[in-house]
Amino acid sequence: MARRRAKNLQPTPSDPSVIAEAIAKAVVDGDVVNFRQIFGGLSPARPDTVETLADPKYSYLLPSSTQKQTPDFQTALRAVRSPDTWKHIEGELAAKRPPQLPSELLLSLGDHAVAQGKYTSAAQAYEVLRVRKDIQSRFFEAGRAALGERDATRSVAAYLIGLGLGYDYAAFPEPMPMVPEFPRRALILHAEAPRRPEDVIPFREPEVFLRLAIEYLLGEPDHADEICEAPMETRVAFFAELVRQRDPEWDAFVKRFAEAAALEKEWNDRLREMMAGDQNLRMYSQDIAEQLGEDPRRVPEILLGRAIPNGEWWQYLKELAYQHPPAALFVSRRMLGRVEFIAPRLRLDNPALAPIGLDATARLLAEKPPAAASTAQ
Amino acid sequence: MNDTQSQSDDLGYIDYAAILGVDDDARPGDVRNVYKKRMRELVRDISEATMTEAKRSHFLLEMAKLNAALYLLRDRELRDAYCAARAHLIELERDWRESVEQGGADSEDLRREYDRLLRDFLSRYVEELMLTAGTDPECLESSGWDAAHARHAAPLLRRYRHTLQLQIIARLPYFEVTPPRVDWPEREAWVNRMISEGAR
Repeated sequence: MARRRAKNLQPTPSDPSVIAEAIAKAVVDGDVVNFRQIFGGLSPARPDTVETLADPKYSYLLPSSTQKQTPDFQTALRAVRSPDTWKHIEGELAAKRPPQLPSELLLSLGDHAVAQGKYTSAAQAYEVLRVRKDIQSRFFEAGRAALGERDATRSVAAYLIGLGLGYDYAAFPEPMPMVPEFPRRALILHAEAPRRPEDVIPFREPEVFLRLAIEYLLGEPDHADEICEAPMETRVAFFAELVRQRDPEWDAFVKRFAEAAALEKEWNDRLREMMAGDQNLRMYSQDIAEQLGEDPRRVPEILLGRAIPNGEWWQYLKELAYQHPPAALFVSRRMLGRVEFIAPRLRLDNPALAPIGLDATARLLAEKPPAAASTAQ
Repeated sequence: MNDTQSQSDDLGYIDYAAILGVDDDARPGDVRNVYKKRMRELVRDISEATMTEAKRSHFLLEMAKLNAALYLLRDRELRDAYCAARAHLIELERDWRESVEQGGADSEDLRREYDRLLRDFLSRYVEELMLTAGTDPECLESSGWDAAHARHAAPLLRRYRHTLQLQIIARLPYFEVTPPRVDWPEREAWVNRMISEGAR
């Protein structure tokens, strides 16, 4: 086979104005990965590389014409081009060693990331600046102050941003930003199948339920403790706001929850009728389920809004927790015949239900079935 | 409970003699006696405590530290190697700081060497040592350390190691970024703006 001739490649420095725009875009986008890439060893912005930002494969680093017109971009570009900063940038791109990133741009990047909800990016930027903990603690202080003023909206916002800036120092191999991980935590919440009513999370005493629910939705216990020292009314308001901020599509879930609850209640009423009329059926739950003639997986399908082929209860739970994190607090595991599935559960006297739209469904579930007609054997 | 607070002024470079409460050159017999006394006290504290997740983690870490201190300090060879590594690291940190302050040309080389040795020291003498000590028969007998302890301890020790590293880095010259200038009053105003605009 003929040997391929090596291309005679010369370094092709990128246009400085394009480099400045790429850096400004990373700042405004709150994108710490692209920001680091521009300064990295293999960056197309370096003068000694054969790569160039003009290459279409690097178009993701460059701003669109629309973005260039925005005030935020113009401000960031001015900051990048300020004489001292630009001189530092040029020096770092030319140096043959790990770059020293310009801190004022990185701080601005972190701020833009927070404004856009890109908390992991912000956490990484602030961490390398060694200001992450201080900024995080200021959000928590503001959250506590708002809680004291009974302003649930501001309090929840403050705690969620503060927690979003968390870092997991136990991560392997290197520390990394903390993420909520609701699918994993929902499985831990439901790790044991309930044997008694008090094992069912939604059936617990309202105080106990709220403590558990707030810890689950925040993702850590310390701040849940301080929030649960507030008066009950404040806790309920905080929880309701937390549900809506963790799940902007909560109202859509509430509708499906009501539908699934109505279906399960209908089954339960029919099962009670069958058991009242047939002494033998009462003995064998498997027979009862078969007599019902329904697929129990219909309930989690309605909850999730779609079917998982041959889906197990934990698959439905994980998907549900991903789409609607608070949903895991209002279901429990249940067996019907040979099938285990997750089913809607609510406690009628839980004050946390009304603000999140579940009170009507709670009343439905609590309704007694109509008295069964007597059956002749 | 702050597990990252130094037992003494150890600069974040874990000092097992200070943890155990013995002199640097204590004899192996004295090390064992002090260890047994400290472990008895710790086991008593554990039995009397109302357990929470935070307390469990704290007690587990304390147990791991005492086990590691015994394992290291009762063996002259291990102890000498540890002391030499620790002293070298402290000296290298000083050399690097001086080089940065004086604008020395070798500061980047010193920083790389220091970073490499710091990671190695913390990995070897925090995480690995504590987990290895948990398999030592003498430690097992006194502390009751078992597979469940090791399983829970692994992420705890990793977190402890990284937290020690951050504690050290916090006082070192900036190298990944230019020294930031943060206007904290302005930052608090920004925090209030972010909260008002709402979390996503």
